[in-house]
Amino acid sequence: MAKEIFMPKLSSTMQVGTLLQWYKNEGDSVDVGEPLFEIMTDKINIEVESYEEGILLKKYFEEDDEVPINHVVGYIGEAGEKVPESAPGESGAAKEQEDLSDSREAQPDDLAQQGITETTSQEASRDSADSQPSADKIRATPAARRVSREENIPLATVTGSGPNGRIHQNDVMAFVSSKTSAKATPLAKKVAQAQGQDLQGVTGTGANGKIYRADVENAKQATLAAGTGGKRIKMEGIRKVVAQRTLQSKTTAPHVTLTTEVDMSEAINLRKQLLGMIEQQTGFRISYTEIIMKAVAFSLKQHPNVNVSLEGNEIVYKEDINLGLAVAADNGLMVPVVKHVDQKGLSSLTAECKRLGKAARDNQVKPDEMSGGTFTVSNLGMYAIDAFTPVINQPESAILGVGRINEKPVGIDGAIELRPMMVLSLSFDHRVIDGAPAAAFLTELKEALEQPVKLLV
Amino acid sequence: MRELTYLEAVREAMSQEMRQNEDVFILGEDIGVYGGAFGVTRGMIEEFGPERIRNTPISEAAISGTAVGAALTGMRPILELQFSDFMTIAMDNMVNQAAKIRYMYGGKGKVPMVLRTPAGSGTGAAAQHSQSLEAWMAHVPGLKVVQPSTAYDAKGLLKAAIDEDNPVIFYEHKLCYKTKSDVPEELYSIPLGQADIKREGSDVTIVATAIMVHKSLEAAVELEKEGISVEVIDPRTLVPLDTDTIIESVKKTSRLVVVHEAVKRGGFGGEIASVIAESEAFDYLDAPIKRLGGKAVPIPYNPELEKSAIPGVDDIVAAVKETLNHR
Amino acid sequence: MTSLLNLPSHLKKDDLTALLKQMWQIRFFEEKVDEFFAKGMIHGTTHLAVGQEASAVGSIAVLEERDKITSTHRGHGHCIAKGAEVNRMMAELFGRTTGYCKGKGGSMHIADVDKGNLGANGIVGGGFAIATGAALTSQMKNEGYVVLCFFGDGASNEGSFHEALNLASIWKLPVVFICENNQYGMSGPAKEMMNIEDIAARAESYGIPGKVVDGNDVFDVMNGVSEAVDRARNGQGPSIVEAKTYRWKGHSKSDAKKYRTREEEQEWRAKDPIARLRDVLIQEGLLTDEEAAEIKAAAKKEIEDSVEFSKQSPMPTIDDLMEDIYA
Repeated sequence: MAKEIFMPKLSSTMQVGTLLQWYKNEGDSVDVGEPLFEIMTDKINIEVESYEEGILLKKYFEEDDEVPINHVVGYIGEAGEKVPESAPGESGAAKEQEDLSDSREAQPDDLAQQGITETTSQEASRDSADSQPSADKIRATPAARRVSREENIPLATVTGSGPNGRIHQNDVMAFVSSKTSAKATPLAKKVAQAQGQDLQGVTGTGANGKIYRADVENAKQATLAAGTGGKRIKMEGIRKVVAQRTLQSKTTAPHVTLTTEVDMSEAINLRKQLLGMIEQQTGFRISYTEIIMKAVAFSLKQHPNVNVSLEGNEIVYKEDINLGLAVAADNGLMVPVVKHVDQKGLSSLTAECKRLGKAARDNQVKPDEMSGGTFTVSNLGMYAIDAFTPVINQPESAILGVGRINEKPVGIDGAIELRPMMVLSLSFDHRVIDGAPAAAFLTELKEALEQPVKLLV
Repeated sequence: MRELTYLEAVREAMSQEMRQNEDVFILGEDIGVYGGAFGVTRGMIEEFGPERIRNTPISEAAISGTAVGAALTGMRPILELQFSDFMTIAMDNMVNQAAKIRYMYGGKGKVPMVLRTPAGSGTGAAAQHSQSLEAWMAHVPGLKVVQPSTAYDAKGLLKAAIDEDNPVIFYEHKLCYKTKSDVPEELYSIPLGQADIKREGSDVTIVATAIMVHKSLEAAVELEKEGISVEVIDPRTLVPLDTDTIIESVKKTSRLVVVHEAVKRGGFGGEIASVIAESEAFDYLDAPIKRLGGKAVPIPYNPELEKSAIPGVDDIVAAVKETLNHR
Repeated sequence: MTSLLNLPSHLKKDDLTALLKQMWQIRFFEEKVDEFFAKGMIHGTTHLAVGQEASAVGSIAVLEERDKITSTHRGHGHCIAKGAEVNRMMAELFGRTTGYCKGKGGSMHIADVDKGNLGANGIVGGGFAIATGAALTSQMKNEGYVVLCFFGDGASNEGSFHEALNLASIWKLPVVFICENNQYGMSGPAKEMMNIEDIAARAESYGIPGKVVDGNDVFDVMNGVSEAVDRARNGQGPSIVEAKTYRWKGHSKSDAKKYRTREEEQEWRAKDPIARLRDVLIQEGLLTDEEAAEIKAAAKKEIEDSVEFSKQSPMPTIDDLMEDIYA
């Protein structure tokens, strides 16, 4: 029997993967462990290797297609074996898994052990099932049902034009195109009409993408500004992921950014002392980033209310201190994660940060090195940037922006001195962290960097 | 190419086949100098003689069984049954003997015979000479059932039927006898089990048999005037049935109307509708399948009543519109 | 006391012992089938010809190798007399793939078309027209063979009897209709079901000879059938030979035989065709008691071996189910 090739789930947040390229054609023979295709997840590019040997019988997706996890991408088997003409959707193995977990839920022992939380979530899911009108009782033709499945349109939302309200294929298709054709306020429509603007191309800022007059006007401006020329590149891969994730973060988390200036004199001294030592040990030169990360880990330990995450309506206090390290790679922003920074010395921290930084730039980071972060550090100190408002890397709740170190006149004991100063910008999610604890954390951090000997305690 | 009538095409297929195959002969009532009830064998006894154009007593049970026995022992008989209604008398030999002998005997022996018979209403012959009972025969494993609608198909399918090593019931619709089409002079064979798309279209599929093919084509012309594009499929053989062609068509059009003259209740249209309902075409159906068939009534004598007992062009037009949700 | 037979002078000792052995084979075959039915090792139904061995063996003894027969639902004896292998017959009743019909036909459909056995028939009267058709092939192809059509007293009341005999007579076909009048059509006594004493008398209405023979006297059967076969082979057309006999067992397995008396059964058992042949051969000095016992034992052993053969033969699989429907 032909074996399924499916889209692997490579991280806990991965929902879809983008197929970047196939290494095999239909009809090619495939060995176990041979790379079949390359995918891009929300965090990473990776080659997917074959679990089976045989002939690649079928490819259901082409390059740039987005494929949900566990969905069948193709089949490997013996030449001539029958496989479905069109993509069969979720893989059999995954379905079995679901069935298994379904039946597990039915075990009374399990329910008792899992306690009330489990029961509540079960009730919730039952409620949601009830609130969805049953598709069985809707009058619809088989073709209409097929299109509704394919387009993921609940039939209950479609109005049927047939006898007794029977839904036909055309009704579903009309609904689909009405969904994709933008919803807009009457005024926006009027303005668009007057300006000869196609609403399809306008991004609405209202609820469910509803288009307001301002959106139409902005779009018009953008069109005018863009003109007709200019190179156009399809947004894909990491670029697309960054776009989605930053938008998501900015639109769900109320960002507040605090800044403070840090006198880096002592930190510079510390670095000078450690530089040769660590280079000898690891072959890498310690940078301020590692010192800052160490200080961040130290401060987070004192202020666990910043090392948090919002899950549903619960604030989760993270036990681990895993710091994301924003790295500018060629095709976009990558954030590899350094685990248990609080437990690591500067030497091993240096080695790990350097390795991960290189891996990120080379697009070689493994999925588990991209996940599990609790707080992120973004360092723009190599540019002429003093302060900025970093965007929180969700599901984390805070991010530290690091500016350049710049000599500035500072008043010390009534005299003006030039000191190497650096601005730290802390963005935090006000839903879960208030201003005062955030300020206390940032103050702690400032002090740790100004008196790095604290880090030894 | 020259035109032939359906009746001439049937005769030509038999004559040409008999000239080249000594084992083929015809038996039936009044097929000699009389030329058969509908004149299909007219002139054949003069060419082939009474040995091979065997005029029989009025004994449907005997001549059908004799055909079976002759076929089992090496001949290729063509049995003409004067009216398909008389199948009731020949039924035992076709159903209990011809259809089953090979299977009952564990794959030994074969019964290469053709039972040709005129079917259908429209001649005023009333209840015992106007029926369309093909669904009965299609139900029986071991028989093949052919229902040509045009002269071209009749000749090619009859040649294939004579060449078959299995018993074939070959229904000739009386009203088709006078229809004409281009028919090649040479002998040719149309494989049993190959439907013919008589007209291509995109909005609705009509599957029609025998005379209803012609009526459906007329309906298609009417509907085209209203911008409705109809595909007309003639299965040509009920057993074996070319399900692929029908399924593909329905996948294309999403709508199916099945038309036959035989009484709708228990008719072969139910089989075609079921084939679609069970197939991958189901998910493409955008309207309930519509069946048109004869009313559940013996065919009456009065010409107006006779006409209204079976589907007409108007009925087909209305059925197509109904599936298209044109109210 | 059994009556002795008139021994035909042209038969040699080997011919005569062969007749005796065949009759014993039939007797033991039927008894074995009866036994295994009772044990539930053979299912369905079966019709035994115990007591009728002479009509089967005597009729077929006068045939040539190329001649053909059609048989009836009570047909095991005809098969054995026509030279069937008892192994393959028994295996068929056991439903095994080595059976004559690969286990798909069973008791009522044993056939060996290649050897001229055109098959037993589950339809009473089903063989008349088939035999007629096979005879038509012989005539049209000038093959020279004769067809023996076995039928029972009950079948002579079927319409197909009349139709086929009429047809065979007008075409002067080489077919001999052998009536094994065993006095009962299932439970219906022949004397209640027809208004004539002899079925052979019906021949008159077709203008053909009809002769009554003692069905329990193998030589009388041979003489009567031989005459009819010669006639048929010479192109003089069909005949009826009626062999008066009696079935010792019930019609089929579920027969309590309430329609006849113990005394009547005893009367006929006294006319056991096998004992009569054995006794005359011994009396004429053609056979010793020991030789007769040896022949009997050999026949018995063959049947017992056939049971072993059958038990060791494979059952058909589901894969075989859909095989052999069409040629």
